[in-house]
Amino acid sequence: MDQQLGLLQGTLDMLILKAISLGPLHGYGVLLRIQQISKDRLEIQQGSLYPALYRLEHQGWIASEWGESENKRKAKYYRLTAAGKRRLQTETQKWNRMSDVIAGILGAAPEEV
Amino acid sequence: MSRVWSCLRLWLAATFRRSRLERDMDAELRFHMDTYAEELVRSGVSRSEALRRARIEFGGFEGAKEECRQARGVTFFETLAQDFRFGARTLRKNPGFAIIAVLTLALGIGSTAAVFSVVNAVLLKPLPYPHADRIVMPWWAWPVTDLGDDFPWGQRDFLAFLRQEAAFQSVGAFKPDSFNLTGFGDPIRLDGIKASAGFFPALGVPPLIGRTYTQEEEEPGHELEVVLSHSLWLERFGGDPAVLGRSINLNGLPYNVIGVMPPGFVFPRGEEMPIVLGFPRQAQLWIPNPTPINPAGPQDLAVVGRLKDSVTFEQAFAELTVFGKDREREYPQAAGYYTPRLATLGRQVVGDSRRALLLLLGAVGIVLLIACSNVANLLLARSLLRGKEFTLRSALGAGRGRLLRQLLVENLILSMVGGLIGTLIAWAGVYFAKIFGPSNLPRLHEVTLDLRVFTFALGVACLTGILFGLPPAFAATREGLVEALKERGQSATPSSRLRSILLVSQVALALVLVVAAGLLVRTFYSLLRSEAGFNPSRVFTFQLTLPAGKYPDTDAMARVYHSVLQRLQTAPGVQQVGFSSAVPLGGPPDNTGIRIPDRPVTSVKNTPPTANYLFAAPGYFAAVGTPLLRGREFTESDTLEAQHVTIITSTMAQRYWPGKDALGKQVGVGLTRFPLRTIVGIVADTKHTSLSEKSIPEMYVPYTQNEIHVWPNMQTMQVALRTAMDSSSVLGAVRDALRSVDPDLPIARPATLATLVDESVVQPRFSMLLLAGFGVIALLLASIGMYGVISYSVARRTREIGIRMALGAAPREVLRMVLGQGARLVSVGLAIGLVASFLVARLMTSFLYGVRATDPTTYAAVCALLTFVVLLACYLPARRATRVDPTVALREE
Repeated sequence: MDQQLGLLQGTLDMLILKAISLGPLHGYGVLLRIQQISKDRLEIQQGSLYPALYRLEHQGWIASEWGESENKRKAKYYRLTAAGKRRLQTETQKWNRMSDVIAGILGAAPEEV
Repeated sequence: MSRVWSCLRLWLAATFRRSRLERDMDAELRFHMDTYAEELVRSGVSRSEALRRARIEFGGFEGAKEECRQARGVTFFETLAQDFRFGARTLRKNPGFAIIAVLTLALGIGSTAAVFSVVNAVLLKPLPYPHADRIVMPWWAWPVTDLGDDFPWGQRDFLAFLRQEAAFQSVGAFKPDSFNLTGFGDPIRLDGIKASAGFFPALGVPPLIGRTYTQEEEEPGHELEVVLSHSLWLERFGGDPAVLGRSINLNGLPYNVIGVMPPGFVFPRGEEMPIVLGFPRQAQLWIPNPTPINPAGPQDLAVVGRLKDSVTFEQAFAELTVFGKDREREYPQAAGYYTPRLATLGRQVVGDSRRALLLLLGAVGIVLLIACSNVANLLLARSLLRGKEFTLRSALGAGRGRLLRQLLVENLILSMVGGLIGTLIAWAGVYFAKIFGPSNLPRLHEVTLDLRVFTFALGVACLTGILFGLPPAFAATREGLVEALKERGQSATPSSRLRSILLVSQVALALVLVVAAGLLVRTFYSLLRSEAGFNPSRVFTFQLTLPAGKYPDTDAMARVYHSVLQRLQTAPGVQQVGFSSAVPLGGPPDNTGIRIPDRPVTSVKNTPPTANYLFAAPGYFAAVGTPLLRGREFTESDTLEAQHVTIITSTMAQRYWPGKDALGKQVGVGLTRFPLRTIVGIVADTKHTSLSEKSIPEMYVPYTQNEIHVWPNMQTMQVALRTAMDSSSVLGAVRDALRSVDPDLPIARPATLATLVDESVVQPRFSMLLLAGFGVIALLLASIGMYGVISYSVARRTREIGIRMALGAAPREVLRMVLGQGARLVSVGLAIGLVASFLVARLMTSFLYGVRATDPTTYAAVCALLTFVVLLACYLPARRATRVDPTVALREE
């Protein structure tokens, strides 16, 4: 299990929303939290994080404001909006259904078809 | 305006916000890398190595920023700003096109804005009186149409109306009068107004200092009070407030100064009132109009009233109608003479100029249309040449909407710059219009380029940019990908059809405009050639008004006129001298009902004959050069004791003695207690107010035979001198002659007869010159359009022409082919234009004189001119086509 997994297409947004739903974070914090929760099993290209954050903000699911970081520097903090909360919910449900279906397909034995 | 501003603010905000967002983004990404590097340093990596690893693990920094920008989404205004920058760059790259387009638009927008600024001042701006829309002027419409539409009131009718009217808050009557002011330097003649007490309250303008007069001053014996105009107060009395209560000498009587009006108050201006009333250009003072003991006087009063707030225009008109009916019951012999007319002051002031201005506005609108379609044509040609660029851009993913917007933005830049330069042109136009424009155009002095004109110019610019930019833009983007993939050289693309339509409409519009200009030019020349009944060369005229107190009766007046005449006859440089009540173009004469024993009035409905009634002195007709057709001139022996004689005009002779010899016949004024006169001479008709006026019957009476005494007023005569040399040099001699008779005699309105003629044609000349100018611009623009279209088509067909020539076509055949294409377009344009011109010319009939709206010569000449000019514009590219070298043309592909 040492090997890191590449991120599935389209799942980064969901992960960011989840990470922020646990409390406001700056961009670097989002990265750290995802790595922490996933126990470093997911590989995230650092530079790709920011376009995703900007996209989510543009869509109105997260909002940002400037604040002070742990190391006493100005940092931009993101928090979830109400719309973002709903979005995370539906995305989570969708993902769960999807993974059920996929797991079902992958686990099917020849006699079940 | 506020919408434009808020748009501008948003756009500015978007532009500034952009740079702030950039800074924020940079800071955020740097924070990430720095924090990560710090963590690495804490775990024991060297600082430089930490920074290197942070950069590597972050990935491409600039790439990430670009992705962020895209993710954030660009706003409408940001791309619009982009479009503007790009548009400005492309236009700069092709300055020839940009300059022609901008100048064409500037010309169109500028001339439109200039004409609009005049329309704005004359027709749209409110008059300088409080609640001016409540001010009206009632008139009577007499059945005798010779005398114009608005007929004045008699004192008796006005007093009766005052007693019974209920619709007016206040109403006043007024008439012109002139005054000799003596005792303040040289005697000077002033134009004044005799006005009743309701006059000032009706207009609602309070005096600057002092007061205006009240009802009390209308009582006989209290009338010697005067209100001064602001300019008279400054010029003659140095703007000294102490003038109030002072006594000044007017016409030999002491008047008490009671008030001074604010600057700009000169009501009524002569050009704003019916010409027959003879109001001066501007009023300089106002005195009460005392109620005469016998109010049955001439009909010479204008009336102005302010409606009560509760009364509508229609109700006031109904009241006037009822009043008219009452008068007719009281004076059955005047049946048909009491039909009221009611004009708002705005209508009254603008009068006939309204139609002339609308004509100009229409003409300048056509120029604008031609200019716009010309630019549309240019845009179209250009966008076709840019086909490759559009193909590339749409291949790179630009949507049609984005391409359309790009083109529209470019057009907007063009029309905005055009609009700005156009405003400058308009400013210059207004400046020159004020200098050279007709002084009798109402309210010309108020013309300025105000915010409304500026907004108008800007609006026109935007509208033309969008309206005339859209079709070319659509055409260009439609062809974009598909056409570009095909081989070039298709003959009938939708856009070339559009170009032909634009060109045909340009030719048609230009024809309409040039025909209108042509008709006005012919009108002007027939005015100048018209039989005015006098010879204006070397004739000097001036107006002589006797001081009223000094010469109490008409016999005394006749005596002083006689000595003036004698002195002037012997003055150096004078060949002929005479005077009359009104010299040609010197203003309207008095008009009266007359009786002719040969033509008895048979019924009430049969209106009595009328004629203008003028005094004349011996030598007058010779002095102004009015041909004596039959009989004799007046002589010194035509005195009160001799036979009463008259000289009539040829129109009078033809109207009242048709087919008979009028010489020796009898005619007299309407009242039978005055004796009949014998006609001893017939002279040509003369024009009094304009060269285009219709001649009406006129009779001249020797000034030495005034048996009526009280009418017409003999206090003012207009003197004419035919001189040996340049006529203006005689002024000094005239002054000396007058001084030797009476030092209080003033010279008013000194002018040569030629000047009077010039002044009378100022307005038609102005309209003609403007319209001719617009016509030239239209011709020029249409030729440029034609040149562009034909050049383009020659360029497109170079290969085809090359093949034709390689196969043996002679240059002349190629020339004919290209010219034929132009000729087809021109003939279609001419056909449409002719139909439109007929319709437009019919609307212009009232501006024409001596030429019919369907004048075939004008139409033929204009068609020929237009064809020649436009085909000349075709010829240049056509000749280029004949120079095509087949080998070069074929290798070009």
